[in-house]
Amino acid sequence: MVAQVSSSASAPHRYVIIGNGVAGNQAAEGLRDRDPQGQITIITNSRMLFYNRYLLPELFREHKDWRALLAHPAEHYEKRRIRVLRDCWVTSVDSRKRQVMLAHNEAISYDTLLVATGGRPYLPEELAECRRLIHPFGSYENALAVRKALPENGSVVMLGGDMIGLDLARTLLERNFRVVLVTHENSFWPHQPVGDERTKFLAILEKMGIEVVDGEAQGGVVAIEKGASGLPDRRVRFRQGGDIYGDIVMSFYGLQPLVEFMMGSGTDIERGLLVGTNLRTSDPHIYAAGDVCQIWSEKDNVYRFYYGHRNVRAMGAVAALNMTGGNEHFSTTQDEALFQNEQGHIDSPFWAYD
Amino acid sequence: MNSTDIQIALCGSAGDGTIAAGDILRNAVAALGYRVICFDVYPPEIRGFGKCISRVRITTEQTYALKRQSDLLISLDDSHAIPHAGEVRTDGAIIYESKPVGHCPEGSHMSSHILPGQIPYGIPLRELAEKATGGARSRNLVVLGVIAGLLGFSPVPFQKIIEKKFAKQGPAVVSRNQAGFQSGYDVGVNTFKLDNVFCVPQESNPAAGKVVMLSGNAAVVQGCMDAELDTFFGYPITPATTIMERLATAMPKRGRRLLQTEDEISAIAATIGAGYTGARSATATSGPGLALMAEMLGLATMAEIPCVIFVSQRGGPSTGMPTKTEQSDLNAALYGSPGDSQRIVIAPTNVEGCYRCAGKAFEMSEQYQTPVIVLLDLYLSNRYETVTLTESGPPFTLNANKPLRRLEAGESYQRYAFTEDGVSPRAVPGDSGCMHVVTGLEHNTLGRPNDSEEIHTAMSRKRHDKLLAALHHPDFTVTKRIGHSGRIKVGILAWGSTFGECLEAMFMAHAEGISCASMKVVMLSPFPVEAVTQFMDDCDQVLVPEVNYEGQFAQLLQGILARPVVRLSRVPGSPMPVELILSEIRRLAGVV
Ligand SMILES: Cc1cc2nc3c(=O)[nH]c(=O)nc-3n(C[C@H](O)[C@H](O)[C@H](O)COP(=O)(O)OP(=O)(O)OC[C@H]3O[C@@H](n4cnc5c(N)ncnc54)[C@H](O)[C@@H]3O)c2cc1C
Repeated sequence: MVAQVSSSASAPHRYVIIGNGVAGNQAAEGLRDRDPQGQITIITNSRMLFYNRYLLPELFREHKDWRALLAHPAEHYEKRRIRVLRDCWVTSVDSRKRQVMLAHNEAISYDTLLVATGGRPYLPEELAECRRLIHPFGSYENALAVRKALPENGSVVMLGGDMIGLDLARTLLERNFRVVLVTHENSFWPHQPVGDERTKFLAILEKMGIEVVDGEAQGGVVAIEKGASGLPDRRVRFRQGGDIYGDIVMSFYGLQPLVEFMMGSGTDIERGLLVGTNLRTSDPHIYAAGDVCQIWSEKDNVYRFYYGHRNVRAMGAVAALNMTGGNEHFSTTQDEALFQNEQGHIDSPFWAYD
Repeated sequence: MNSTDIQIALCGSAGDGTIAAGDILRNAVAALGYRVICFDVYPPEIRGFGKCISRVRITTEQTYALKRQSDLLISLDDSHAIPHAGEVRTDGAIIYESKPVGHCPEGSHMSSHILPGQIPYGIPLRELAEKATGGARSRNLVVLGVIAGLLGFSPVPFQKIIEKKFAKQGPAVVSRNQAGFQSGYDVGVNTFKLDNVFCVPQESNPAAGKVVMLSGNAAVVQGCMDAELDTFFGYPITPATTIMERLATAMPKRGRRLLQTEDEISAIAATIGAGYTGARSATATSGPGLALMAEMLGLATMAEIPCVIFVSQRGGPSTGMPTKTEQSDLNAALYGSPGDSQRIVIAPTNVEGCYRCAGKAFEMSEQYQTPVIVLLDLYLSNRYETVTLTESGPPFTLNANKPLRRLEAGESYQRYAFTEDGVSPRAVPGDSGCMHVVTGLEHNTLGRPNDSEEIHTAMSRKRHDKLLAALHHPDFTVTKRIGHSGRIKVGILAWGSTFGECLEAMFMAHAEGISCASMKVVMLSPFPVEAVTQFMDDCDQVLVPEVNYEGQFAQLLQGILARPVVRLSRVPGSPMPVELILSEIRRLAGVV
């Protein structure tokens, strides 16, 4: 249904979306529905079209070509006239000139901008130096590299273990890999169970077959090293002196919003881009959606992050409506609590995908 | 998947080293045992900012033309490469500069033009070149490294060719360029491959014989050298110039002579003069040069002097389109002289054919005492292919002159004696007792001027009839039928470089179940009436694709055979698109 047309035939409205994830793509679809003439450009630093990262653990069950993960075939973008600039890094936004600056020195002009750059995995500062010994898990490419590095029945040391990591852990266990979880305050991110509840969920994880090491009791991880010959490839050392070995080490400490390029734009930033429930930033021409934004919560009187597929999709849709003259407000419909399912396993609305 | 068929298009501005990179690429993959067809397109300006494209098709099996769609496009200059982005197939890739110097106006960067189905590989080519070599000039080698790494080609032949290519400039230049290549290779190997452009490693070339990589003009030169060409006279003209350039290097090494004359008239005059003395002699030119040679060619016909003229066609008339290909000098080659100036005209269809036609042209020219024009075109002259040369030495006769008979006492030597095959034993200056007159005037058997009806008729017949034997010249392919045998729906009759595209289209049509065959006509004068008639008898319809506007070959066919043909005449300045031929085949076969 075309509810609002912002573009005139002579000068189509230029919508630019930074980010090719759930939020960005949902918004692009909404914009096209509402403004058939508008010029829609998605900018992403990824070489791939939008694909489903939630499905990456599946790659440990069966090998899939990346095309099998794509949300839409390539023709979809041509048919919907959604231009996707891939392999392009946004370095800054000039809100005065209404231009997005790309690393290759091209400026892309916009009338309305949506920032949907999501987040990058957070890595505690003390582990920064060991980064090259940690296998990342943010992309298809990363997932294949992990698969390649893991020997049959091999072991993974999971530092932190947020809900992204625990989702992977479930599949790894199914495929007879050993998973050692080194706990951290961000284990279960974005959930924050505390006290008895946290103990209960850790026990459930152990019952599921995950070996749980109390990271906090060990004083935290101080180093990751290459294992000596004859031992697994990685050694994780704790402050208290203990150590554990694994074939690979992965870190899952939650996500950190990708906002650095917005620093000079004049928009308000706390940890994420600050927006009202209409998802507009402090600049009337700039909106934000998805993991990158902190949304004002009237109830809590703070800016809050809302994670999970349903939330992120809803944000994309609301942003599209408001960018084309609507006046919608985001409110979450997603349950936030971690729970134990019928099989006695840990479960989360974060893993719900539709 | 057990075979390779990929096409890489490198596109840049003159000065970017695009053609040089294409050259290294084709030689390296040929050394790896692949079959290769390549074609370079460059601007008419000698220096400047024009567009250069080098297209390289790399295959395991023999192929006959470039593909319409490339699998990989490499941009060394986005302003030139952007219009070619659409040329890349779905799931193919585009490699381009991710860190250009200076400001990029909106829409001027390749990333804005890559279609959703194509894979972008933005690579900091300049930065890599600068880091590896201290300068940005070796961006073209960096990108070659990226290609080799990405496609899994061994870097060894690339490094060897780079060494050979830059050896003259000293070891520092060699190692700089090798470092540039290596830095790109490291990036290519470590780039996560999203495209589906795959190369099956090639152990060794299965074809028997010596496999070499040659352009059409290089093959002509090789043919000339193997046929022991004695003298060459020429005046530079695109796209024939490189024949003279290469001969200028090769001939003196073997004690042979080459002279750059002041114009084409001198070149042909000197060629005929050398032929008159008994030397194997040739010149090379293009359409405008052929026009200047027309009068002298008549002299060679009339005086029955062997000489070989290589004509590489380009877009015409007049100066026309010097760097664009065309097949529009057929009429000029066949008829372009005053009078009934019979001559032999042959047109190779591929690079290997350039070699054979060049060598055989000397044989024919001597054997039938007539000028032989070898018709090439820019596409064939500049196209590179892997060619298999026989190991058993050149397949050419080095002296095809009719032996002189010993004269009886008191007998006058008759240079133009009537004989059964129409060829008179030819004496050259210095042959004892064989003094004779050679003239452009009509003459009697002694060579003395004579314009009687009787002599003119007899001599015209002699000059005409003697050429017919060329239709059965030993070890020479005059025509060749390929494809389905027996009765067929569509027959394709073609000449020159377009035949490769016809074959590709024909094989595609076969795959669609269409009954069709192709015939190449290599000898255009004298015309192989019998073979062509037989072929046409088998066809429901005959399609004649050619790259000229008037349909010159179709006219020739219809003039001689008085039979209908379907013309497919186009002047795109580039080779005839395979898809166009295919769609005509489909139409004629009634398949929509
Ligand atoms: C392996 C994995 C599994 C996950 N599983 C779940 C799950 O089960 N449930 C769940 O709710 N969430 C899951 N998540 C998190 C989920 O992906 C995010 O919450 C959600 O995708 C956020 O969507 P988004 O559109 O805000 O950002 P993203 O999907 O992160 O997309 C951000 C986009 O911005 C682009 N970008 C960022 N910076 C720049 C820049 N400077 N220039 C150009 N482009 C830029 C990125 O390339 C990307 O295309 C998972 C994440 C990962 C990595």
